[in-house]
Amino acid sequence: MLILSPTDYQALWLSAKVASAATLVALPVGFGLAWLLVFGRLRFKALLDGLINLPLVLPPVVVGYLLLLLLGRQGPLGGLLQKFGIQLIFNWKGAVIACAVIGLPLMVRSIRLGMEQIDPQLLHASRTLGAGWFDCLRTVVLPLSIPALITGSTLCFARSLGEFGATIILAGNIPGVTQTIPLAIYDYTSTPGGEAGALSLCLLSIGLSYLVLMLNTLLLKRFQRNQA
Amino acid sequence: MKEKLIFTLCLILLLFAFSVSVEAEEIRISAAASLTDAVKDIIAVYQQNHAESQLLPNFASSGALAKQISAGAPADIYISANSKWMQYLQQQGLIDDPSEQVLVQNRLVFVGMPGTAKSMADLPGLQRIAIGSPKATPVGRYSEQAMKNAGIYAHLQNEQKLILAKDVRQALLYADRGEVDGAFVYHTDALLAKQAKVLFAVPQKLYPAVVYPAALTVTGAGKPEAKVFFAYLFSSLSQGVFRTFGFVIPEE
Repeated sequence: MLILSPTDYQALWLSAKVASAATLVALPVGFGLAWLLVFGRLRFKALLDGLINLPLVLPPVVVGYLLLLLLGRQGPLGGLLQKFGIQLIFNWKGAVIACAVIGLPLMVRSIRLGMEQIDPQLLHASRTLGAGWFDCLRTVVLPLSIPALITGSTLCFARSLGEFGATIILAGNIPGVTQTIPLAIYDYTSTPGGEAGALSLCLLSIGLSYLVLMLNTLLLKRFQRNQA
Repeated sequence: MKEKLIFTLCLILLLFAFSVSVEAEEIRISAAASLTDAVKDIIAVYQQNHAESQLLPNFASSGALAKQISAGAPADIYISANSKWMQYLQQQGLIDDPSEQVLVQNRLVFVGMPGTAKSMADLPGLQRIAIGSPKATPVGRYSEQAMKNAGIYAHLQNEQKLILAKDVRQALLYADRGEVDGAFVYHTDALLAKQAKVLFAVPQKLYPAVVYPAALTVTGAGKPEAKVFFAYLFSSLSQGVFRTFGFVIPEE
């Protein structure tokens, strides 16, 4: 039933690698942004909020195109990075950036919800006991946000596994280098007689996403048990 | 009063029935994405003189269209960018075989910034070359064959110099923005580039002829209006339009 070619295994491995790296990149960034949005006294909070949520609204292909404009050889940031010999497009790093940007809104939203649940009395108490903002962040906000961090990471990871539009523009569709599972499925569906290969990869994706969701529930349960 | 109302209603209903019977016959054309501009132009001209038929084009990759038709999507005319997908539909008995004919041809060219390369022999010296994905796009397969026949494919592949794009337009975008040193694209697409220029035409002996077969589907063969438009596609007027968009008309 499950017929997998060597490039399919590469795609599976690459998908796991890219999604993990994207989640690791988005996690601290997402935490920082959520903290700013919940506790920060910013003037243009709504503007920042809109900017973070943009990838949720825009078609991923457009996000990929904008990232290509920014990070390409001719782009303002890409040109600068090139001087230091850093190359972000057309390799797996490009795929990571595409996935991290697409997954970031989901990450920020989850963490934000968690942070908003924190009892303000606890924060006040920590301040009156002499904790600075960083101490308060480290000892009160972070530990109480852990369930939200787990959920945000799961969502970001899952979204990264399915990311297609932005990845194919920013990283290309190169087997073994940037071809993740969705890109490999796309290749199969546009080949005469590629149905079996496409279906095998679809089954694999379904299995993988269940695995991630189960892991999420397991982690959350464990956390709650430790709390009790 | 009531009778008057019923009479009026009947009259309106009758009017609807009548208007349906004279409504223009729909002709659905499924054409490969690379033909978009040319076919749109041809339809616009045709529509001016043939108000009796309404032409509805559907542009996508040849494979996507073939799968749509095979799944029962309405189509009267199918124009594919390679013969493989035409055969796919023929094997399923969905094509009116006698009508199948090569409509136009295309050529493979290499685009990039001026002065980057002059011939296939210069390509191993470049850093990055974009092509359409050979699995997903016919243009990718032709490019791959041309590089293999020129004896440079293995080197480019091993050095990971080939950037595989989703389709030919994306390969063109990479070359036009200078993200890659050059790209293999169709001549018709190369004409759309703003920065990149055609550096050389890939010698025809390196790759099979790029043909666009067109055919009536079995449902299309039953519609006289579809047949008329199908013949119009092969007229000298239409051929002139195809030429302006960079296609080559096959010799009789």
